Amino acid sequence: MGEKYAVIGKSVPKIDGRAKVTGQAKYTGDLKLPNLLVGKILTSPHAHARIISIDTTEAEKLPGVKAVITHKDVPTLKYGISPARWDESIFCSDKVRFVGDKVAAVAALDDETVYKALKLIKVDYEVLPAVFDPEEAIKEGAPQIHDEYARNINTEIHQNFGDVDKAFAEAHHLRTDRFVGNRTYQCPIEPHSAISIWEGGKLTVYSSTQSPHYFQHYIAREFGLKMGDVRVIKTYVGGGFGGKLEPTGLEFAGAVLSKITGRPVKMFYDRHEMFAHNRGRHKQIMEITTSVDKNGKITGVYANFMMDGGAYTSLGIATAYYAGAMLPLTYDFVNFKFDMIRAYTNLPACGAQRGHGAPQPRYAFECHLDNVAADLGMDPIELRLVNARQPNTVTPNDFAVNSCELTECITKAKEISGWEQKKGNLPSGKGIGIGVGSFVSGAGYPIYRTNLPHASAIIKVHEDGTAATLYTGATDIGQGSDTVLCQMAAEAMGFRYENMKIVAADTETTPHDFGAYASRQTLMSGSAVKQAGEEVKGQMLELASEMMEVEVSDLDCRDSIVFSLSDPEKAMPFGEVAREFFVRKGPLVGKGSYAPPKLGGTFKGAAVGTSPAYSFAAQISEVEIDEETGEIDVKDVWDVHDCGMVINPGLLHAQVHGALYMGMGESIWEQVLFDDKGKILNPNLGEYRMPTAMDMPRITSELVESYEPAGPWGVKEVGEGATIPTMGCYANAIYDAMGIRVNSLPLSYEKVWRALKEKKEKEKEKEKA
Amino acid sequence: MYLPDFEYHMPATIQEACALLAEKGQVAKVLAGGTDLLNKMKHGLVAPAVLISLKQLEQLSNIEYEEGKGVLIGARATHNAICNSKLMQEKYLSICEAAHHMANNQIRNVGTIGGNISNAVPSADLPPILMALDASITLVGTKGERVMALEEFFVGPGKTLLAPDEIISQIVIPDQSCTGSTYIKFGLRRSGALAVVGVAVAVTMDGNVCKDARIVLGAVAPVPMRAPKAEAMIIGKAISDDLLEEVGVCASTECKPIDDIRGSAEYRRDMVRVFTKRALRKAINEGHV
Amino acid sequence: MEALVDNSGVKRYLVTINVNGDDYTRIVKANTLLVNFIRDELDLTGTKKGCELGDCGSCTVLMDGKPVNSCIVLAVEADGHKFTTVEGVAQNENLDRLQESFVDNAAVQCGYCTPGMIMSAKALLTRNPQPTEEEVREAISGNLCRCTGYVNIVKAILAAASE
Repeated sequence: MGEKYAVIGKSVPKIDGRAKVTGQAKYTGDLKLPNLLVGKILTSPHAHARIISIDTTEAEKLPGVKAVITHKDVPTLKYGISPARWDESIFCSDKVRFVGDKVAAVAALDDETVYKALKLIKVDYEVLPAVFDPEEAIKEGAPQIHDEYARNINTEIHQNFGDVDKAFAEAHHLRTDRFVGNRTYQCPIEPHSAISIWEGGKLTVYSSTQSPHYFQHYIAREFGLKMGDVRVIKTYVGGGFGGKLEPTGLEFAGAVLSKITGRPVKMFYDRHEMFAHNRGRHKQIMEITTSVDKNGKITGVYANFMMDGGAYTSLGIATAYYAGAMLPLTYDFVNFKFDMIRAYTNLPACGAQRGHGAPQPRYAFECHLDNVAADLGMDPIELRLVNARQPNTVTPNDFAVNSCELTECITKAKEISGWEQKKGNLPSGKGIGIGVGSFVSGAGYPIYRTNLPHASAIIKVHEDGTAATLYTGATDIGQGSDTVLCQMAAEAMGFRYENMKIVAADTETTPHDFGAYASRQTLMSGSAVKQAGEEVKGQMLELASEMMEVEVSDLDCRDSIVFSLSDPEKAMPFGEVAREFFVRKGPLVGKGSYAPPKLGGTFKGAAVGTSPAYSFAAQISEVEIDEETGEIDVKDVWDVHDCGMVINPGLLHAQVHGALYMGMGESIWEQVLFDDKGKILNPNLGEYRMPTAMDMPRITSELVESYEPAGPWGVKEVGEGATIPTMGCYANAIYDAMGIRVNSLPLSYEKVWRALKEKKEKEKEKEKA
Repeated sequence: MYLPDFEYHMPATIQEACALLAEKGQVAKVLAGGTDLLNKMKHGLVAPAVLISLKQLEQLSNIEYEEGKGVLIGARATHNAICNSKLMQEKYLSICEAAHHMANNQIRNVGTIGGNISNAVPSADLPPILMALDASITLVGTKGERVMALEEFFVGPGKTLLAPDEIISQIVIPDQSCTGSTYIKFGLRRSGALAVVGVAVAVTMDGNVCKDARIVLGAVAPVPMRAPKAEAMIIGKAISDDLLEEVGVCASTECKPIDDIRGSAEYRRDMVRVFTKRALRKAINEGHV
Repeated sequence: MEALVDNSGVKRYLVTINVNGDDYTRIVKANTLLVNFIRDELDLTGTKKGCELGDCGSCTVLMDGKPVNSCIVLAVEADGHKFTTVEGVAQNENLDRLQESFVDNAAVQCGYCTPGMIMSAKALLTRNPQPTEEEVREAISGNLCRCTGYVNIVKAILAAASE
């Protein structure tokens, strides 16, 4: 018992590993229910059009069709993330706003009939002028997408902390750069799916969701049901990355179809429909101005941003605020000004993709900072060390930072990557670059306005004491929260992980939790679980004290053995005590809940970005560029993370791998492309190029010692934080390799080729001159 | 996604298949591997009322050598069957490599060489190297067989000289006098990517002098195309880096690329320069066919 | 192949497809895809649908030992062939060493690509018991994974091979 912890800090196998490698794990699309119908949504072929009429008669006549619905059959209440921006309807009634907007739905006996019926629905449209560029959309006279939002401005932010003008006026050096991001899509490999069952006054929905509670809240609201009459059950989820955080329309339309037919209805998206539904990364246009003193210390930053929101708000208000809010977290500066416009366009709505609004601004800032370093003749790492945030500090936008080992992350990354030997010494075509970043460990405020705690948990020890079940609303979408939370429960109880069971993410059987977003579950759900486990342990020890005739204060429990601290020979199996507890007192249950303390300032938008704790990371990558073709070969990536105490190192490093993977795709290959009518040109996994196993570099993931006082056992997040520095890190390596900057994502081979070509042409001209 | 209904036939002989094609007319399509056809049908790009499966025509999968004729590849041979064929590895490593870099492993186990040719996709990987090696194809129809140089077969994207009642039965690669051949595919990811540019070459070297050369460009014109001016430029010359660069530049002026989501015409043109040069160098240096 | 004609004139075919060692005889339409046959007719839902175009590899099954995308194979074309799905990899209660290795090496996250990955890896190790890392990457390059960056999947396959 020499080790500090018995269960946490160990790479135990995933609790659902076996079910997933045998094919037994059932995802929503795998479920079959008696009398099940299948349904699909008909979407708009136009980017912007008035609906003149919808004729469903032919579809209804098709044998096997059980119901066809349009806006006339569903509630008209609009929904979205916040009351100020409820702008989305179950079905469009007046007009459609992007190619893929929802118009009608069908339920039928089988897939084939559904597809045939969709083709038989006749919709007459009057095509309207459309706008696809946010900078065009906000101009006077641009097509108006929502009547309520003049100049298509969905969100406008103006924040000003300290005195940026003064900082700029007194600057040793001032520099402005402009960068443009790209529209990318989460691309979980599992397509969205939902099964709705409306029986009597009760609605049950099985869904591939990241937040059963949020779905329950909005579904109940939409149909005027009590939350208690809506049950949302998460099945196994095949990845989310932010794309499965809000109801998709499959849940809403399926519910109505089920109510009408009296049968369960399974709704699903095809891959191209997922791309159209989107909610992926916003494309941001980012102009950044920074002033530094002669030592490279940042004295002021002005971020002037715009983002393409697409046709609806989705989670985009939060995205817009995050884009600025996270900037002064990574580096320490006090003067900060942030302007942002999120514009509506006639393209699919963007939402929250891994890292939410932060990765593109971080990409821009990390590139910008390398430019500043070059201007000053400083090593990029030195410049970062001068400005790196330190522990126990407060950002200008009022985020309180407790633990922060950013300096150590940078130093270690520098060491393990061989930066010292490589920087400036690599042969032509090779380059090395750094990016750093930071992220929240859970949002300080709930996803919708409520005073419910953010997380809660119940642990029930089985009557014979041989097993315990954790009941939690926390949502495992593949990242491994079920495993990590069971480890935490076992640690807190003094129990064995191998004997833990879990029931999770079912709004009827598990206690409330907001779900998987904002990297919140290890810290927040973990806090609730720890409390529940400790409550079990407390009750156990009290009874054990009687049974063993040892003072409670002298007892502890570890690895399913209750023992005397002063005389470890005095011991009793956990099971024996637990069984006796049940005999004498009934069920042995522990409860826990977690709400963060009041966080942040009082300015408009102060809530976004608040968190009980922040993670920090540094990444360095080495790339090789084919100078004739622009082809980029990423050779190596090193990630060093400060994510507090680690519960499961195996799963933690796996999160880093995945985050680097997604960041690499976004940096070099991934981009959703549209034609001039707003139709997606590459809504498939052949032409939307996520990296394959042959494209990935060697990845080294390392940690630094860290302890976060706000987290249970000192934990923080990792899943999203590791995505934040990635794009900047690759971009800087590519810059280092070729000596010129491509200021837009993705850094495609062709863009690199073009930049190199222009560089050569300029050099030739110089020679001539 | 949804595959529309169709009438399915599984003829026992190639003659029966041709007769069916003749009978059903334009609404019929031949189903070999299906990796391309079924996807097009799911997308609604084609809607054949009749599919005629080659499933039973096992003999069309053979890969063999016939003295005097050359290597005969049955049209139903899959890409992986070609890569893994000992005969092919011994005689035409360049074709094996081209087949190996297509799509992904699962597709290569199903997709066929006949399908790859008859689809006539400008970016297809096998036609350029087959054309560089002067391959011909055998077409079987209701009126009998005819043989055609592959080079003459393609008319435009998706368009060929295949008559409505004809099926490609085999690909014939004649015995070579060339000393080296290769195909380089330039795609935007290392697996599962279509060629942005594909360059195939076959060279006959005598010491450092190029006696003969065939250069074929893929994905840069409506059909895979020879680059005759570039070929003329290298034939009879001693190889040097400068010459290879000039030949590359020449090939880049001969091609007729378009802009699409994978690359601009300008980029493709320059990639023709780069990969013509690299392919020639590889074929000359590695010295295997 | 025997065919029945239904009331609307659509033909249905009697096929016998061997899956995981057992023959299944069913009546299918010509446009029935193998993936739907496996999932809907046989209820073997371990084989997943991710893209339906052969791009992602989630539906990978072994056809006569070779990995294929079951989303672009017709059930009528599968008639008479032998298939292995992920449900056929473990021997009764005992996981295959590949499956064990995936669990032990944290190679599974959301698990949706996992069955397809395992089938591609299984085919590789059968044909090439001691693959290099490059050969492993090549073999699974038709299987997209959005969670792992393939790092631990490659590790798991190499570990299973070295046992």
